[in-house]
Amino acid sequence: MLKLTRRTALALSTALALSAAVPAFAADEIVIGGSIPLTGVFAFAGVGVEAGMQDYIKIVNEAGGIAGRKLRLAYEDTGYKVDASVAAFNKLTSQETINLYYGDSTGFAKTINPEIDRMGSILMAGASFATELNDPKAFPHQFMAGPDYSEMTGILLEYIAKEKPGAKIVLVNSDTEFGRDPIAATKARAKELGLEVVEEIITPPTAVDVSTEVLKLRRARPDYTIFHGYVLAPLPEFMTQAKQLGLETKFMGTFWSMDSSIWDKVGEVADGFMGVMPYRYYYDEAEDAPMLKRIREMRPTYQSTPYMQGFLTAMLFAEAAKRTLEAGKDLTGANLKAALNSIQDFDTGGLIGMPISIPGNSIPVGRIYQYNAAAKKMEPASDWISVQE
Amino acid sequence: MLIGTAKHSYRADEALLTTRPQRIWMGVLAVGLALAPLVLDNYWLYLACFVAINVASATGLNILTGFTGLVSLGQAAFMAVGAYTVAVLEIRIGTPFLLNLVAAGAVAALIGVVVGLPSLRVKGLYLAIATIAASFILHFVFVNWQTVTNGNSGLSVPPATFLGTPLTDYVQLYYVFVPITALMVLGAANLFRTRIGRAFIAIRDRDISAEVLGISLLRYKLMSFAVSSFYAGLAGGMWAYFFRVVTPESFPFVYSIFFLAAIIVGGMGTILGGILGAVFMTLVPELLRFVVDILSPVLPNAGTLLSPVRTIVFGALIIGFLVFEPKGLAEIVQRLRRFFHLWPFKK
Repeated sequence: MLKLTRRTALALSTALALSAAVPAFAADEIVIGGSIPLTGVFAFAGVGVEAGMQDYIKIVNEAGGIAGRKLRLAYEDTGYKVDASVAAFNKLTSQETINLYYGDSTGFAKTINPEIDRMGSILMAGASFATELNDPKAFPHQFMAGPDYSEMTGILLEYIAKEKPGAKIVLVNSDTEFGRDPIAATKARAKELGLEVVEEIITPPTAVDVSTEVLKLRRARPDYTIFHGYVLAPLPEFMTQAKQLGLETKFMGTFWSMDSSIWDKVGEVADGFMGVMPYRYYYDEAEDAPMLKRIREMRPTYQSTPYMQGFLTAMLFAEAAKRTLEAGKDLTGANLKAALNSIQDFDTGGLIGMPISIPGNSIPVGRIYQYNAAAKKMEPASDWISVQE
Repeated sequence: MLIGTAKHSYRADEALLTTRPQRIWMGVLAVGLALAPLVLDNYWLYLACFVAINVASATGLNILTGFTGLVSLGQAAFMAVGAYTVAVLEIRIGTPFLLNLVAAGAVAALIGVVVGLPSLRVKGLYLAIATIAASFILHFVFVNWQTVTNGNSGLSVPPATFLGTPLTDYVQLYYVFVPITALMVLGAANLFRTRIGRAFIAIRDRDISAEVLGISLLRYKLMSFAVSSFYAGLAGGMWAYFFRVVTPESFPFVYSIFFLAAIIVGGMGTILGGILGAVFMTLVPELLRFVVDILSPVLPNAGTLLSPVRTIVFGALIIGFLVFEPKGLAEIVQRLRRFFHLWPFKK
């Protein structure tokens, strides 16, 4: 019998780590590359995004593909680390011809865009809604499947200005690039709309003790408190302490804190939490949303908001590729972006409740939803709001 | 079988590479490194450049922790100092990139001396905590010194230019980074053949005895911090030219732990250990991707299902090496060398 010495064990484990394979690929495919976080702090989003993209790709392929070419997602886990995302990008682009790419963070998007521009063959989208990326001149091959973070808070402010003119607002942002992103734009827009930003609070992204911040909130007595730069923590803690102090402020959030499944676990205290969502929720049974019905047929259980984001991104990728090929052009970054920008009054199958146009790098459309703890659902609190200039 | 190495001159006695096979293998390595870009694709070149950066920084930490015995968890923060220095110099002044890199090392070394000041009074875990505190202070500076660092948005770094040519692709960067790292490693290896390096080792082994022998603890400990931070700063500078975006989040605290893990896994207190550790920590997670690739045809959705497993396997490999090879990967190399020295008389 083979005796497993420590050297053999080490050799075996190393051999396993070092063994490599070259994946097979077909020339008649359109490959979407992806640096997707399947582990790490953002894994919940990555898993949803991947599922959403795969489902839309399946729908396209079942319908015969794009100009007879099948779509395929080739992706790697990044752990939400920029160096791993760049490694994944280099691995995938070295292995196959990739014309569409999904990136996982603002840091990655900023890092890889000079390379994308140099290559000239890729159109990129991703999980980042950073305001900085919403600049077609600086990032000509980039887009985002929704409003940027400043546009998201802009949509919230439009709603507030309508509901309560002259309202007092407190901004609570995480001390990250993501968190601080829309502060300046939010303050400027609030001023334009006659709203008053009475306090700005910056906390660490996963702050646990927020009692000092809640006291600031109490002193400011705002009508609305807008959180940005968090997924969940420390929002429930804020809301619990504010309720204990009898504060009657309405708490609001942006896309990444709007998944209803995360609030289900929080329970009663989450009741009334509002925020901006660029997409409809999985359980929305609106008549003009056949795509959501299709999604429910494909996946009978609740699918997260990142799933919707992945699904719409794949849809826009496919539409850009379709329009480029129909025009008889090559799938280059510039052609794909031009095709994407030609999208006007596009029907997303109800994923977004109004026809969309993409003149630049974003889709500045959203709707205000409010969480109903008893029903465990996000319910519409407004109609669709567009902040397209 | 090699019995011994007869040295006939003082020069031979002082040589870095003492045996012929050593010189031959080092030559093979140098030729291999020089020709590697001819066979490597973009992905492997990216990894080779990244390994070069990490080797430079890990070697610096090894000087401080492995050779001087001062535990530091601030290596990533020193890298950040270097990266910001390069970014600011490149954007505002446009000085040549080699000068920027040296400046990055120098500024990081200065900060390193300040952070190293408590090292005379505190040791071990206490010093580790002091360096963590320093890295949080530096993070605060990066976020709030808006006029220089551009706050949370960070700085976009123009590519390094050499004789008017921007160094944008990985082949070009490889031929810049690898020689720089090789020089840094050579410098570290030589350091320990000088009075300074020997003083570091004496402090690590028994600081009181070292002081009795006439070694100024404050001077040499600060010098060790300065050298280590210089290495980190230079590595950070290369990092800035490599990724071309520097933000406060580019160098998270966990990156410092990465370097500490690298020198522990590689082998503390050996130059080879720092190199092997950095290579291991950088490349193994990437190589594990290929295991996922292999399983992709048989397992639908292998990427999603196996990515968490990949992280676990990586962690288990680190634990495995620490349990079975507490002296690190460098010890395996030593054992291999001994095996070939004694072969065929002892297997």
